[in-house]
Amino acid sequence: MSDFLSYLVLGITRGSAYALVALGYTLVYGVLQLINFAHSEVFMSGAFGSYLLVHFMVGDGAATATWAVPFVILAALLAGAITGALVAWTLERVAYRPLRRRGAPKLAFLISAIGASFLLSQLFGKMFNRQGNNTIPGFFNTNATVIPLGGGAKINLIQIIVIGSAVIMMIFLDRLVSGTKLGRSIRATAEDAPTAALMGIDIDKTISRTFMIGGALAGAAGFLFATAFGAFSYNMGFTPGIKAFAAAVLGGIGNIRGAMIGGLLLGLLEALIPTLPWVGGRQFIGIQWTDVVAFVILVGILVFRPTGILGERLGRAA
Amino acid sequence: MQKRLVGQILALSAAGALALTACSNGSGGGGGGLASGGNNGGSDTNATYKIGFEGPLSGDNQQLGINEVNAVELAIDQANESGDLPFKLELVKADDVGDPAQAPTAAATLLQDTGVLGVVGPSFSGATKAVANSYGEANLVLISPSATNDTLTSEGFKAFHRVVPPDGLEGKELADHLVAKGYSKVVVIDDGSDYGTGVADTVEAGIKAGGKQVQRISVLADTKDYGPTAQTIAGSGAQAFFYGGYDAQAALLAKAVAATSYSGDKYTGNGGKSSVFTSGAGDAGNGWFFSCGCADATTAPEAKDFTSAYKAKWNTDPSTYSPEAYDATNAMIEAFKEAAKDGAPTRQSVFDAVNKLDYKGITTTVKFQENGELDASSQVINLFEQEDGVIKTLGNIQDQS
Repeated sequence: MSDFLSYLVLGITRGSAYALVALGYTLVYGVLQLINFAHSEVFMSGAFGSYLLVHFMVGDGAATATWAVPFVILAALLAGAITGALVAWTLERVAYRPLRRRGAPKLAFLISAIGASFLLSQLFGKMFNRQGNNTIPGFFNTNATVIPLGGGAKINLIQIIVIGSAVIMMIFLDRLVSGTKLGRSIRATAEDAPTAALMGIDIDKTISRTFMIGGALAGAAGFLFATAFGAFSYNMGFTPGIKAFAAAVLGGIGNIRGAMIGGLLLGLLEALIPTLPWVGGRQFIGIQWTDVVAFVILVGILVFRPTGILGERLGRAA
Repeated sequence: MQKRLVGQILALSAAGALALTACSNGSGGGGGGLASGGNNGGSDTNATYKIGFEGPLSGDNQQLGINEVNAVELAIDQANESGDLPFKLELVKADDVGDPAQAPTAAATLLQDTGVLGVVGPSFSGATKAVANSYGEANLVLISPSATNDTLTSEGFKAFHRVVPPDGLEGKELADHLVAKGYSKVVVIDDGSDYGTGVADTVEAGIKAGGKQVQRISVLADTKDYGPTAQTIAGSGAQAFFYGGYDAQAALLAKAVAATSYSGDKYTGNGGKSSVFTSGAGDAGNGWFFSCGCADATTAPEAKDFTSAYKAKWNTDPSTYSPEAYDATNAMIEAFKEAAKDGAPTRQSVFDAVNKLDYKGITTTVKFQENGELDASSQVINLFEQEDGVIKTLGNIQDQS
């Protein structure tokens, strides 16, 4: 039982990171009906951005005073978010807007996205020596027990930070989209862009800001991911990016709450694989089947609900 | 999406590489002749011959390749400066990223260069399997400082030689060690790579043969979140676990394990033993044990000169497989010298000379059996442990208890 609880906590942690990245895919899809395949590199750049700031603030992290820790974490989240937002903004400006202006076919956007993804990944690889394991300086004990669950199971500090900040950011986003003027223009653009433009909404500005919001969430997730799992690298974006995209589709692409639920669900399913039956010291479906299990379930759900768990469209759901 | 594209590009370049390989094979004999065309006497000191190096010089596993190529370059520089060579030596580097899919391209650059008469490498087992036959067909001899997969010497790769013991021996001796330590249950993990599964299989078989329990886990080599794996280890009730895989991933596992309540012993093989592990895992790596058919260049007495020369040239301590690469290169140079005694060396004459070598290096005596394996008496597995962020040697694993 305590094992199961541990896997549950691990799953929610992983799922929170997926959900934050998935939101970026879903937001952009909502307003543009376009999958931003370079979003995984926005996530990666956030990790590097926050690393630079943390490294600047605490050096190797050994001599960080306890009172400073929350501030450094907050600053790192902000740095990740700002880096992510900037990269996403640039991406939209350079890789998508020129195509949109010229009315390019959808396929051109896809190619442009893949190109941008390669460029960003290799650029960061070049700048940071292609190390497989860059680590955020250890300025606090990530493993400190915060909530003991009994029998060795516990929720530790980094898990609280990941889950907590993900929840706060998601509530913030939900409020932003449903309750503010910017949110209204995002929803209007998603619903019917030409009509929204006639009503006086600046479509370009709205799209640009949507990219930045998604980028900020992914950038912050980059920092959380790197701190929770111990390393970040120029090629870290690929797998979580695909998983987050799958999570967005699972929840209903274009649907914000769907992305949150899809991310959490996917993370949970993956982390619970070791609880499947063991026979004679081996597992028929073991951890190496993680990706298979995740995608089989994705396909299974899409067969019965082609639009995902909560259905499509940003405009309708929010 | 990305990976698919990369795959296609690789497939194209691999096809190109194969075509090129085929060309150079066709003119293999003639190529050797061309290189020796300028110096019929064999004593012409202006003649230049090349030693190739194939290994990962970029990508996730670059550290291992850099450890090796630095030592190779040092050995070649020392030989050139010593003045007792009847020719000049030059190094040609080929970067295979440690990836079997990219190895044919890297091998092609060495195979095409007719001045290359011997190759140190490839560093990785998977990459070696992909190209060993191409080298064999061109009579270009290989001495690998670190490709340890068992099957490399049983699949009939005639060009392949190595100066390190195979994983099978390492796994077997490590399993014996684990059994002798009295652990009743051990978790054995592999990363799905040729090297990882090979060594994990041997360790598992050895422990079972010793009458102890094994729980086996396979993980994906590109995982970043080892939480569930670590939790499985912690929940298994095992007193020890072994990870068969490479350093960067082992470091992530070390961190994830440190976050659980697991208090047993932690083992990995030669693939995990490097500065990438120590820097990646930090404090979480302390107390990890490493088995390795390699010698510690910072403490082994014979290696002191090498260590200081390496440090002077590269401004860092030699790391995993640097001393082995140094030995492999010096053995290769020795073979060049032997071959040069009977006129200008060719790929064929260097090939023959390598098979006849009996060279005393700093880590081992380089003398090959027919299959390319070191003489049985030279195959020693050592045990290492990380203490305070530094990997220290504990000595021959058979003497540890």
